Amino acid sequence: MNFEHCMRCTICVENCPVFRVNPAFPGPKQAGPDAQRFRSKREKAVDEWVLLCSQCKRCEMSCPSGVEPAQIILEAQQRFGAEHPHTPAHLLFANNYYLSALGSLTAPVANRVAATATGRKIFNAFGIATSIPFPPFRFRKLSREKKTRSRSGRKVAFFYGCFINFYRPDIGRKIIRLLQYFGIDVVLPPQWCCGLPALGNGNLSLARSFALKNAASLSNYVDAGYDILYSCTSCGLCLLHDYQRILDVPQAKKIAERTFDLHEYLLRLINDGDIEPAFTEVRRALAYHIPCHLRALKIGYPAVKLLERIPGLSCAVLDDSCCGLSGSYGFKKSNEATAMELGRRAVYRISKTGAEAIVADCGSCRMQLGALSELEAFDPVEILCESLNICAPKTG
Amino acid sequence: MIEYDVIVIGAGVAGFTAGADLAGKGYKVAVVTTGEPTVCLSTGCIDLCAGPSAREGLEALPDEHPLRRLSLADMEAALNGFKKTMDDLALTYTGGLDVNRKVLSALGSFKTTCLVPDTMAASPQTNDEAIHIVTFEGLKDFYPAYILSRFPQASFSVYDAGASTTMGIASRFEQGLFREAFVAWLEGQRIRENKIGIPAVLGLEDTQGVLREIEYHLERPVFEVPTLPPSMPGRRLFNALKAHFRNQGGDIYWSWPVAGVEKTGHLVEAVFTPTDGKPNSLNARAFILASGSFVGGGLTATRETIVENIFHLPVFVPSARAGWFEDNYFSANHAISRAGVLADSSFRPEGAGFENVFVCGGILAHAQILKFGCGNGLSLTTGYAAAKACAEYLS
Repeated sequence: MNFEHCMRCTICVENCPVFRVNPAFPGPKQAGPDAQRFRSKREKAVDEWVLLCSQCKRCEMSCPSGVEPAQIILEAQQRFGAEHPHTPAHLLFANNYYLSALGSLTAPVANRVAATATGRKIFNAFGIATSIPFPPFRFRKLSREKKTRSRSGRKVAFFYGCFINFYRPDIGRKIIRLLQYFGIDVVLPPQWCCGLPALGNGNLSLARSFALKNAASLSNYVDAGYDILYSCTSCGLCLLHDYQRILDVPQAKKIAERTFDLHEYLLRLINDGDIEPAFTEVRRALAYHIPCHLRALKIGYPAVKLLERIPGLSCAVLDDSCCGLSGSYGFKKSNEATAMELGRRAVYRISKTGAEAIVADCGSCRMQLGALSELEAFDPVEILCESLNICAPKTG
Repeated sequence: MIEYDVIVIGAGVAGFTAGADLAGKGYKVAVVTTGEPTVCLSTGCIDLCAGPSAREGLEALPDEHPLRRLSLADMEAALNGFKKTMDDLALTYTGGLDVNRKVLSALGSFKTTCLVPDTMAASPQTNDEAIHIVTFEGLKDFYPAYILSRFPQASFSVYDAGASTTMGIASRFEQGLFREAFVAWLEGQRIRENKIGIPAVLGLEDTQGVLREIEYHLERPVFEVPTLPPSMPGRRLFNALKAHFRNQGGDIYWSWPVAGVEKTGHLVEAVFTPTDGKPNSLNARAFILASGSFVGGGLTATRETIVENIFHLPVFVPSARAGWFEDNYFSANHAISRAGVLADSSFRPEGAGFENVFVCGGILAHAQILKFGCGNGLSLTTGYAAAKACAEYLS
């Protein structure tokens, strides 16, 4: 919807987590539709403060007039990035995929260096924040898993994303086992970073090159009759939304029509009567932190519906707070204070529920909330697997 | 395919009230909404009907007014249910049908309302009360001079909160150290007046606690003065309604504008929203339309007429376009304020022939919210009544 539909009601501003804690950010209304009137293609972008937006999309979720402030700001971020030199932190995080591939290859050394005081100093020198520990790399990436076959004829291609691949391949393996448990064929198509980190760091051309490679690969699988599943909500939002809206990927629409959130997919199978999971009791009191990008996917909260079926489980749903980390956003020194304050607020709300552990779909939300609350933070898949007694096989 | 018993369209006072009532009765309910509702822009007060008391005002309402479709007993039940719910969520409201209370506005004038949030309960009732107004450095759209011009015994002082927006200041009031510094400064002002008025910025989460803390140290009543949007009391009400709906087991779909409807005969079967990929639809046995009036997005005025955006229901259009507005901008009698959907006694839209669609809130025809002072209260009571009619239909 056009920025001119904004009626200045300021509901988006009230919903902006960054605006609440960082006075330097003018808020989505001013940074989005208001400033848009003054942006001209003939003048160099001067609105550096657009980089303070974390792209949580809460402004878009709340706008009663259908204006998309985050989208306007995202475009302004790309323009600013194209016209100005990038800081080391922006460059590094945009290339997070290559960096993580290197880290994973040298995991035993890289993890040790990152944990030392010198490692932290190096991080800080590049403008990278170290308030919460950087997640350790895993040596055995998920992409090395073999494809699996079954006879049900239902087949999916799993877009696992960088977080699972480089940091938590064990969750990826659990997802594969879970899908196998329901008799679903799983393949791991050739894939790269979804491109969101590059977009978030104002690097449109890099994001587009990732997107084109992914789209070429995924569209082959769609043609071959596969459904595409994602488990990272931010990867999913990028695949579904940004590939069409800003990255201009030719196969985007075709892919979007066949792409599902993992839990959404399972819930559909259950509702259609195709599978009937026999959940066993799990005695846990959980707080489900809804990632901002899950909200933005407009599919409701499917994992909540699955968790509700588990006997003995209590799960408080919290969708009002942003964890503040927003992927690489909070890892930049310039956003550290904002991210920490937002994280503290989110943790305060979680602690009020009396939950013993946190559950969230998004790896970066879990990193932030787990580190700040000192509670365990699970992926919903881990809870589902616990209830269905599915264990990921040990790997070397 | 996802199945619900009831889908409510609109996340305002009417939508959440109806949704929570039905969810509380055990039905599977979802609220779908384009964005956040106009209640966020309101003062958080529940106006039901202008007059010395809502009861007297209601008797004088014209026959076609939607509140006339409700019995007094239903209205009382709706208000009492609301008060009980809000009290449990630490957002206490006081008042009732028998007396309307006054709330001091940022212009120094009074608004009349039926239910008052606790933070405005101490608002002065006459102009001769001695009050002290506190405002904040750089806060836009709040000028104590307006109030002082109408209150002979009033004074004001200005505090530098380090933020100049209502949201920014409210955020600071949630921090203990900020509150301590504020209270210490306020004590140093040597205020002589009996009451202290503060723009409605006293936090979002535990406002009553913040208010009590200031009252305890200053040893006199403190009240909030509602501000222009962004309005914290409106947002508190919205948050509480949302929490209540969710506590009753309801699902919320944000940013879910309804773009299409599937119907067979006299029944609506499903609603659709546009997505980036596969079609996204929700099925239900009954639908409640609580999409609000023009600002809320339920109605759209075209050059020739007025349309209802979701089900394309027949709309009562008061006159040809030339007659929609009076010359006086501030008139409460603009004909367009009568526009809306006509509802029968079971809150089904008139002339549409749908058996399983119910309508409530600001979209109702002849509401004339400004003239009769029924903002939020109309939504609350008709939401209650629509839920009751819907539950009867479902069983």
